[in-house]
Order: sequence, then structure tokens, then C-alpha cells
Amino acid sequence: MTGTTFGAVPWGPPLGEPVPRLDGRAKVTGSARYAADHTPAGCAHAWPVPAPVAKGTVTAVHRAAAMAEPGALSVLAHDDAPRLGDADDRTLAVLQSPRIAHRGQVVALAVAETLPAARAMAAAVRIECAPVPPDLELTPEHPRLVTPEGAESAQGDFPAAFHGAQVRIDAVYSIPPLHNHPMEPHAATAQWLGGRLVVFDSSQGSNAVRDALAALFELEPDQVSVVSEHVGGGFGAKGTPRPHVVLAAMAAMAVNRPVKLALPRGLLPALTGYRASTLQRVRLGADTEGRVRAIAHEVDTYTSPLSPDWRERATQPTRSLYAAPHRLTRERVAPLDVPSPSWMRAPGECSGMFAVESAMDELAVACAMDPIELRARNEPDVDPHTGRPFSSRHLVECLRAGADRFGWADRDPAPAMRRQGRLLIGSGVAASTYPAEVIPSSARAHANPGGGFLVEINATDIGTGARTVLAQIAASTLGIGVDELEIDIGRTDLPRAPLAGGSCGTASWGWAVHKACGELSRRIDEHQGAVPAGGLTVTVDTTEDLATDDQYTRRSFGAQFAEVAVDVDTGEARVRRLLGVFAAGRILNPRTARSQLLGGMIMGLSMALTETSTLDLAFGDHPERDLASYHVASCADVREIDVHWLAEEDSRLNPMGSKGIGELGIVGTAAAVTNAIHHATGVRVRDLPAQPDALLEAMIAQGRI
Amino acid sequence: MEFLRPADWTEALAAKAAHPSAVPIAGGTDVMVEINFGLRRPDALIDLNRIVELREWEVGADTVRLGAAVPYSRIIDELPTELPGLALAAHTVGSPQIRNRGGVGGNLGAASPAGDSHPPLLAAGAEVEVASVRGTRRIPVEEFYTGVKRNALAPDELIRCVHIKRADGPQQFSKVGTRNAMVIAVCAFGLALHPATRTVGTGLGSVAPTPVRAGAAERFLEQALDEAGLWDSGGVVPPAVAGKFADLVVAAANPIDDVRGTAGYRRHALAVLARRTLDWVWDEYRGKEWGRACA
Repeated sequence: MTGTTFGAVPWGPPLGEPVPRLDGRAKVTGSARYAADHTPAGCAHAWPVPAPVAKGTVTAVHRAAAMAEPGALSVLAHDDAPRLGDADDRTLAVLQSPRIAHRGQVVALAVAETLPAARAMAAAVRIECAPVPPDLELTPEHPRLVTPEGAESAQGDFPAAFHGAQVRIDAVYSIPPLHNHPMEPHAATAQWLGGRLVVFDSSQGSNAVRDALAALFELEPDQVSVVSEHVGGGFGAKGTPRPHVVLAAMAAMAVNRPVKLALPRGLLPALTGYRASTLQRVRLGADTEGRVRAIAHEVDTYTSPLSPDWRERATQPTRSLYAAPHRLTRERVAPLDVPSPSWMRAPGECSGMFAVESAMDELAVACAMDPIELRARNEPDVDPHTGRPFSSRHLVECLRAGADRFGWADRDPAPAMRRQGRLLIGSGVAASTYPAEVIPSSARAHANPGGGFLVEINATDIGTGARTVLAQIAASTLGIGVDELEIDIGRTDLPRAPLAGGSCGTASWGWAVHKACGELSRRIDEHQGAVPAGGLTVTVDTTEDLATDDQYTRRSFGAQFAEVAVDVDTGEARVRRLLGVFAAGRILNPRTARSQLLGGMIMGLSMALTETSTLDLAFGDHPERDLASYHVASCADVREIDVHWLAEEDSRLNPMGSKGIGELGIVGTAAAVTNAIHHATGVRVRDLPAQPDALLEAMIAQGRI
Repeated sequence: MEFLRPADWTEALAAKAAHPSAVPIAGGTDVMVEINFGLRRPDALIDLNRIVELREWEVGADTVRLGAAVPYSRIIDELPTELPGLALAAHTVGSPQIRNRGGVGGNLGAASPAGDSHPPLLAAGAEVEVASVRGTRRIPVEEFYTGVKRNALAPDELIRCVHIKRADGPQQFSKVGTRNAMVIAVCAFGLALHPATRTVGTGLGSVAPTPVRAGAAERFLEQALDEAGLWDSGGVVPPAVAGKFADLVVAAANPIDDVRGTAGYRRHALAVLARRTLDWVWDEYRGKEWGRACA
């Protein structure tokens, strides 16, 4: 036992070791229970009825045919559903109004004895509605585009500096709607026990779910328990409470039985958020040596009437990325009658960095400079937006280390020059960056008198390995092995903690776990190392530890390298090699960290080449609603892929010295791939994804083949 | 929904006769998707999984009798020599899990123009054996597809097996998709050389309302190979011949614009696949001296 202080976690095993997931065996053997795996006695099943039009009013709900189905229990709709309180999120005000805000919005809920009966009922419910013409199309001229407060920034005199620049890049990039599609669809099992509500939910943060349910059902928070013990991915789609959990609780109240609701995959795009499409104009003005003098990034995007404050904050990374005295960023957003967009892995940053890192590649070509040297030349001394120093910033080091590993030195910059049979080969690079935030958290640590420890915190493991890394932090602080303690997470009955999101989970939870375990060690020392009968328990909160504003910008950085082969006959682009080199503070578990970064990079590869969705102007929602039509890269699309990280020391982060890595891996990947496509073919891909038909047409139009 | 589980083939035919609107289900890789999506809700399903002989195959002198429910993974493992084109196409079907469940009978029953097994069946030459309580008949595969997702089955008939000509020469299959696996074809093409009869077979997928052969392209290529003596000499196919062949293949297509690609792109890509597969089969023919020693 070491007498640990509140300072840094002692660096060394088990922290920094590739500890296998503590819940790995439970997951692969199927004993780990997810939200829909819980079936309380007497559990009924629910199935949603989606709105058939994009905008309008429900004028009648015909239930007779549905209620005639064997096993029918109830059809809930706006005209008879329990009234809800206000949870400050209009997507959660389910079945409260006849108004239809978007196609796919739940307008009725069928509840039955069995799942097939609920489905049959939902199919038999007839919704009559009075549709009105929806507003669905985003254009740069859309009359309702507005710039919300805080959505623009300006320094210097951008127009003049851009006008006077020797080299100018002015390009528009577009990204289609993209869907999170976690492997486990959103599901909840809800049960009322006396006046208490107990819910098993597939969520990235059950405290927020509890708070929302308490507000909606007008309960005290301690009358609500939410369990998210195992979660099959989220990518942001489970970051805030979603309608399914409210519907399950409402149905359980209405039929006075437990109710289970698992959303069908086809309703995820309409009900659980997505990355809204963006139109992004980037202008760079530089001298012939590649020194950027002026940078502007303007984004048009949309939200839904149910989420009026939402926008894809795609200019955020641009503010802090490269030095330039004259700067301008602006985000405009229009409310359209579409499903509510929300968080998708690296919201804002991922979208914006595709545009900016593509534009930087265009500038490198225009200046006849190596794209790595161009980025190095524009490295800022301090955060150009705030003037604050970076707590650590090793972007250039990542670029250079990656160049060595990738074999960049031999690269001939000329495009469309490398031919292997009917393939054109090229390579590209792009930067990655993501904020390294931390949120207050509490945690509890307990020492048993007979030996052994229990660490409790309502963290959520959405497949990242959170359970494992928190055990490592606790064990290192206590000076014991991982197998000498128990870690309990994923329930609101445990000490309150923030969500698994924003790449701040481990930093936030780990800080609280470290603080609790450090304090517990001190208490044990006060007892001369002997834990008294009844044990010792310490509960801590990090709110005050985080309160000081010490004027640093904290971000993780990285560099991604891609090699592509483009078939000159078919236009098929395939990534042959993908390399990411990251600087994200200390890597606490190289096994799970590598997996998260790889996953992000593959998602970025997928964004570059295969993932695309359409906002259907005839119907008002997305026709690509399943994994057969929404193409996520398959194993056969990922060839050689590699992840490395620098040994980055940063004492201004948290006791572990770590930065979040959940989102960093997807940022910049798409640009690395499309920059490589330009190097291979001479075609600049400004509209994602780079699909064969468009790429072939562009190659033919440019006379490249 | 009624769920019928016949214990043998006779019972299955009786069930289908009694319930003509019943949908047969074996691997379920198409039927379950449609049910899950609410695209259809049949009155009854006939589960064919208890009928062992549907999962059996037999190699005869000239043909392979392939049970309707032999899974793709077994075609890949067990019949790559006899049915190389079909085995190559089977490799591109779905994921390993889908290949363990799905078989050719399901592809024929669904009759989607994008089904991966259709081009190699058309190219190799095949007959679909269908049966009912009224008896058994064989339908040449090119007559089996009658429209978009429609086939020649009578309401009381079930697919028993497919008689596919054993390969007597090289066969190839190629498809274009937006990713490397688990993808529905933007377009697909199968090509078979038959050195013994000095004929060629083609099959086109995802470029017309039904899978189709390119008859004019086949006849042109047969004639061009013959006239130049290439079957005997094993000489290179002149680029002009390959180009004309590809043009005639495209002429047999009637593609549409859809989410997977434009009609124009499909025509272009189909020509690429035709030239490419011709290169491959001809290289193999020359290299392996298929049938040339005895020709």
C-alpha cells in the first residue's frame, strides 16, 4: 500500500499496460446483459408507429384493427398518452401533441403481450393526418439560414488579406447526412415499482436519462433508477436520452406492467440523431512560400424544429488549428422539417476537418509544397483564436513521425503519375485534432476489512474498455493489482458521473476514481494499514478540483496517412494502407486505445468512400435505413492499418496525464483518403463520399484516363 | 402467420399445393429481410430446413445436380472445380454468416436481378428442376426469370435443385460495388468458355429487369475465336474483338439509374467487366491448355 497523494497517478503497471477487457469474457459468452436482455416478469412489448408525412397534424388514430390483434394491450397516441412534464428537449415530448415535426416521428405506440403481436398491431394502426408542405432542402440561399450567437468569429481583416494574397484557395466541400448506427439499436426496458421507475436503457450516460425521466414524469431523481451496464456502441447517438426510453416508461405506466421497447434499425436515423449534412466554403490566402495569411471557414447546415439550438459546429477546429493573422469563421443553420440531427462521433470537428484539411492539401498543390511542410510552416505558437498557450501540441511531431513510418520521403508530389496496371496509386496526409475536456465527476472507493477493494462510479462502458481502464487507474493509485479490486459502473445508484462522450469519459471518471482511491489510501494509512471492521469508504467529487481556469487550450492532435489505389476503368477507390500517429497524452491501456483509434480511422475511411445517406425531398427522411443500403466499410475494405502514438507528457490535464481518444481517430481521416485520391488521379474530391460513378466521370472529364 | 414444417419433400409439395400463397424458406437470407422490413407478410411459411436432400449435391458425367439449399460456403469449399463461376460468385455473397445460410434456390426464388448466382448459372448453362404434386419439370435458367423479382414457378411449385453444366473450361465472375464485401452489385458479369463445343456463355446481373444472357455477344465471340483459329492456336484475343464483345454485352443490358449507380455508369462498368473477364478466362485457357491437347 502506498500513501498516494492527490497528485498524479503513479505511472506504471497496471496503468499503461495492455490489460484485457475485464468484461471481455462476459461479452463473448453472451452473459453480459444489455438493455433489451432484461425481461421482468409480466413484461409486455412495444413497437412504434412512425409519422407517415414530414409535416402536418394527426387528425385521427384508428385503433380498432390493432386492438383486434391477439395479445393487444394498448395503442398509445397523443390523444390518450400520459401528460409529461418538461425535460428541456422537445424530442422527448413524445405523444404529447398531434403536430408532426418530421417523418418517422413516433405518432403512436403499440403495446402487446409479445413482440410479434406488437409489430402486427403497429402495422394495423391507421393514422389519418393533414399534411402540409415541408421545408426540406438546404441551399446557401435558404431564407431561414441564421447565424446563432457565438457561431462566428473574426480577427484582423480577412477580406482584404484574402484579396491581397499571392495564392488563394476558394473551394466548397459537402458532406451528406451520416448515421451513427451502433451495433446495438436503442432499447429500453421500463418498470414501475410502486412510485419508483426502474429502467434498463441503452445509453452513453444514465444520469442524464434519470434526470430527463424525473422531469418528464414529475418525480424526484432518486425515484428513478437507470441501468446501462453494457452498451453496444453509441457514437453519440446514445449521448443524450432518446425517445425510446420515454416511450417505454410511458407504456409501462399505461399498461401497468413492465414494457420493453427496442427500436427497429430502420427507425434509428429518424429517432436517434445523425450527422447533418454540411456545405462548407473554405478560403485560404497565402504567400508563395505557403505562409497562410488569411483563413475563412463558413458552414451552412440545418437542424429540426424539435432541436432549435442544435448545429454541426464544423468551424470549431479551424479556430485553433493553423496560424494566420486574418481569420473568419461562421456557421449558419436553417430549421428544416427533418429528423433531429445530433452528435455523431467528433461532431463538428470531423465535418470541419474534412474541409479544412482538403483545402490545405489544395494549398500545398498550389504552392508546390509538401503538405507536411506546409502544415509545419503554419504551426501557431499559441491558440490563434484565444491567444492562450496549448497545454501540449505535437501536431508537427505526429506528421514527421508518421512520414517516417509511412515512407513519405520518397513521395513524388505530382498527381496521376503512378500506375500499376489499371490502377492509379497515390498517398495523402491530413491532421487530426479534438478537444481534451474534463467534466466534474464523483466516485466512491471502499476497502474491505478482510482485504479487497470496491470502486463505484456511474461511468458507462459503451465498448471502449472504460470498466477496464478505470480499474487500472484505481489499482495503480492503490498500489495493487487489477484483480485485487472490484469495479462497479453503469447504474444511477452509483456515484454520479458524466456521460461516455466528448472524449472526456476517462479523464473525468479517472480523476474521481484516482481522488477516491488516493483518499482511501490516506485513510488506511491513518489506521496504520489495518482496515477496521466495517471497512472504510470514501466518496469524492471533483467539481472543485476542476474549478480553476488556468488559461490553457487543451487538445489532442494526430496525423493520418493514406495510400489509395483507384481503378481507372471503374472508378473504384480502395485504401491500401492507413496509418495514424497520435499525440494524446499518456495512453492508459494500449490494447483498448489502439482499438478505439483504429475504429475511428475505419469510420473515417468509411466516411470517405462508402457512407452516404440522402435526405429524400419527396418524403422528408432518409431512405438508407439499414446496413444493407447504408454502407459501412467491411473488413475486406480495410487492408493494412496501423496506429502509433507519441510519448506525450502533459501535466496540465488530469492526474493520469491522458487525453481522450474516442473521437480523435475519425478526425481528418476522410481528408487523408481524398487527398490521396487527388495524388493518385488528379481529381479533387470535394463531395463525400468518393463513389465510383462520380470519380470515374471526373477522371474522364479531366482527361486523366 | 402459419409456419409449416414438412418432414420430407413429399410433405413439402403437399403443403405447397394446399397453401399456394405460402412462401418457402430455407436459409431465410432474403425472406427474413423482407419480413423484417414489413415488405411482405405471407399467410404461411414453409420451412424447408428438415428436407435433407435439398442440401445435397451430386456430380454427374456432364452436370452437377445442386440441391436448392446447398449453402454458398459449401459450393465454395466443395465445388470450385466443377462450378468455378458459381463458386467465385458465391465468394461475393454477403458475409460468412450469410454464405453459411443462403443457397442458389433462394436466389432463384427471389429472382432479383442483383442476385449473385444468376450470372454464373446463365454463363455455365443450367436448368432449374421444379416440382409439385403434379410432377416435375425442368426449366432452362434463361427462361426462369420472367420479370423484376418474378420467376416461372407455378403457385404450387417448389425449386428442388439446379442442374448446372460441369465446367469444361475457364469461368469467371466479377462485380462492381461500393465496398469490397457485403454489397449488392451495381453490376455483375459472368463468363464461361466451353472449349469442347467451342462456345461461350455470358450472364449479366443488375443491369436489366431480369438477369440476362448476351446472346449476340456470345455468338460474335464464338465466331471471332473460330475464324482466327484461336481455340487451336491459343493466340491473343485481338483488342478489337474484346472491344466489340464488350459493346455487344452492353447492348444486351437495359439498366436504370438507382441509388447504387447511374445507368450510364452501369453500361460503362459492364463493358469493363466483360473485357476483364474475357482477359482472365482466355489467359487461363492458354495457360492451362484447357481441352486444346485433344482438340
